[in-house]
Amino acid sequence: MTPPPPPHLERIRLTGTPTGRSVRLAEFGEEIDPLQREQLLAYGLSGAQSITVLQQRPMTVVLCEHMELALERDVAQHIWVEAE
Amino acid sequence: MPESCHTSPAAPVSPDARTLALVGHPNVGKSVLFHRLTGTYVNVSNYPGTTVEVARAAARFDRAASMLDTPGVLALPSRSEDERATMRALLNENLRLIVQVGDAKNLRRTLNLTALLTELGVPLVMALNMTDEARARGVTVDVEALAETLATPVVATVATGGEGVAALTEALPHAKAPAPMLRYDTETEQAIHTVTALIAERAPHPHLAARGLAILLLGRDKEVASWISAQAGGAEILAKVEEIAPLVGRESLPARLARERGRAAEALAKTVSQQSAGADRTLSLLVGQLAVHPIWGWPLLLLMLLVVYFFVGDFGAGTLVGLLEEDFFGEILNPAVTTFVQTHLGSGWLSELFVGEYGLWTMGMTYALALILPIVTTFFLAFGVLEDSGYFTRLSVIANRAFGAIGLNGRAVLPMVLGLGCVTMATLTTRILNTPRERLITTFLLALAIPCSAQLGVVFGVLGGISFGAAAIWGVCIVLILLVTGWLAGKLVKGQRVPLITELPPMRLPVLGNVLKKTSGRLKWYLVEVIPLFLLGTFIMFVLDRLGVLPWIIEAGKPVVTGWLGLPSEASAAFVMGFLRRDFGATGLFALGNQLSMIQAVVGMVTITLFVPCVASVMIIFKEQGWRTAVLMLAIIMPVAFFVGGVVNHVLHLFL
Repeated sequence: MTPPPPPHLERIRLTGTPTGRSVRLAEFGEEIDPLQREQLLAYGLSGAQSITVLQQRPMTVVLCEHMELALERDVAQHIWVEAE
Repeated sequence: MPESCHTSPAAPVSPDARTLALVGHPNVGKSVLFHRLTGTYVNVSNYPGTTVEVARAAARFDRAASMLDTPGVLALPSRSEDERATMRALLNENLRLIVQVGDAKNLRRTLNLTALLTELGVPLVMALNMTDEARARGVTVDVEALAETLATPVVATVATGGEGVAALTEALPHAKAPAPMLRYDTETEQAIHTVTALIAERAPHPHLAARGLAILLLGRDKEVASWISAQAGGAEILAKVEEIAPLVGRESLPARLARERGRAAEALAKTVSQQSAGADRTLSLLVGQLAVHPIWGWPLLLLMLLVVYFFVGDFGAGTLVGLLEEDFFGEILNPAVTTFVQTHLGSGWLSELFVGEYGLWTMGMTYALALILPIVTTFFLAFGVLEDSGYFTRLSVIANRAFGAIGLNGRAVLPMVLGLGCVTMATLTTRILNTPRERLITTFLLALAIPCSAQLGVVFGVLGGISFGAAAIWGVCIVLILLVTGWLAGKLVKGQRVPLITELPPMRLPVLGNVLKKTSGRLKWYLVEVIPLFLLGTFIMFVLDRLGVLPWIIEAGKPVVTGWLGLPSEASAAFVMGFLRRDFGATGLFALGNQLSMIQAVVGMVTITLFVPCVASVMIIFKEQGWRTAVLMLAIIMPVAFFVGGVVNHVLHLFL
């Protein structure tokens, strides 16, 4: 028997995520420079990683595992996340 | 910071020695461990990018072994200048062992780098550091299971407290080349296999495995490409890489390699570590959030600036300088030295050379020891506390928007703030910036408008003695100059601004021992570097005075100094001194003391702040940016300093 398809989850921009909410990383938009995409991967933003949004202004700050990462809006708005 | 102005302060080691390299992410404790393993202190701070050059020392446990402390790498293949320095060390050193220093609380990220290091074919030991912070956050790592999977020793350490260091030392002889952590997908493996075979046949490396080099090369590591191109069969290998790289999948090959390493790291981290629920919010996190809060971040910054101002400007430049310069040197030491010298040398020119107006003792040593030393001591103490607290990196978040206006991003805050300690070292720290454009603009702004510790202290001392308002006017002028010249430089220097992505290290309570150790190291640097220059400067002033050149310079400088800048003609002598070191010049203005009105003091300090950088800084700019850029910078800086000083003079006279 084939397993049922996973439920469809809405993807939203990281910049649209309310402060304090934990979300799962879905995808990096094509707009992010390849070098910065590598940087994000190196910081551990990969797979379906769970991240918590700590603040949105003046920059988006997320908690990824136990590392705080500050992302400028130009990058954060092209990171797509989905609800946990 | 200053002691790194002369990096590698290490015990001598034979060039043929076995080399062990400490490699790891930024800010994971490599330098602390280096100190533990070698006894050699290198600068240790709580921000990424403290180490920008490789330091070397003989290992404590084996004096025939040479140990390297490498700059932190966010990832390999190397991209930034400091990452490339680490890659160069891996390629060019007689490497027998890599000690990967990892962050236990961020195991997935640590293993991401391990995934690459395990491919290099060099024996590896992992020091899983900061296990105390991991415990505090509810993270536990099964060290034995991790060691078994990697087939190499893994030792839990807390380098700051020395925990696990003995076990690490014991584990080093048992290190062996680890098992590769992952296999890439079939298509990527095929590409790696092709390049590996070529490297093994045409350009084998004496220590590093061909497969590791192939992965780095396919990941576009410029240092590896440069090493390969220097080998006899290198051109063919590089041509092959160019040929096959675009054929592998839709995604770029470097991104694909990085993604697969990320997945493998995630899978392994999940297997060997556990997170207890509810233990991940700490006081450190809350304080850290406050520091970058959109509202509370600003009052905190202001409070921090005020504390530093009162500690350095009021206590250091006021109370301590008063005690030393006026009470001790002025009333006791200098009269005694003068009497002694005149008794033994008479009252001729030789006596003048030591205790005259431009005397080596009464000017050179008095400036260095009685005026500047108390100021830099208080500054270095305050700076060390802030450095170790982790606050500096958080400033980059607050200042990112302002730096955006000058074509940079908030990452440039770090070299700028470090410039307040030592502009020379800060110029080296520009290596942490991502693009040559960012490095060029930041270097220029450092050379133009960032006062070093000694100079800043003198500025606080002079202006704080007049009024807080005078110091505030000076601060506003310098910030405006930074913004305007930065904006212009951002428009003129080609290239695009890179949006900021930065890690914020945890806020920590500074360790008094480390702050004192850094302060004493910096003071030692200060005494060794500054005193000879102050004496040389004083000697030049003495000769110019005796030859009658100094009065001529003062006379010739009058139209600019007294006319345009509105300063007393004696200030010309201070600008002559400023050519050697800006703080020497600033001290010359300090010594004019009561002769300066509030406006004159502000104008003098603004002009000397913008004056040519010190000799050591100029040398580093030559080294980092080339002589053409360095000469161009100097040609711009001098006229700008006098122009701005004059504008400030005339504007202040309109309002005050």
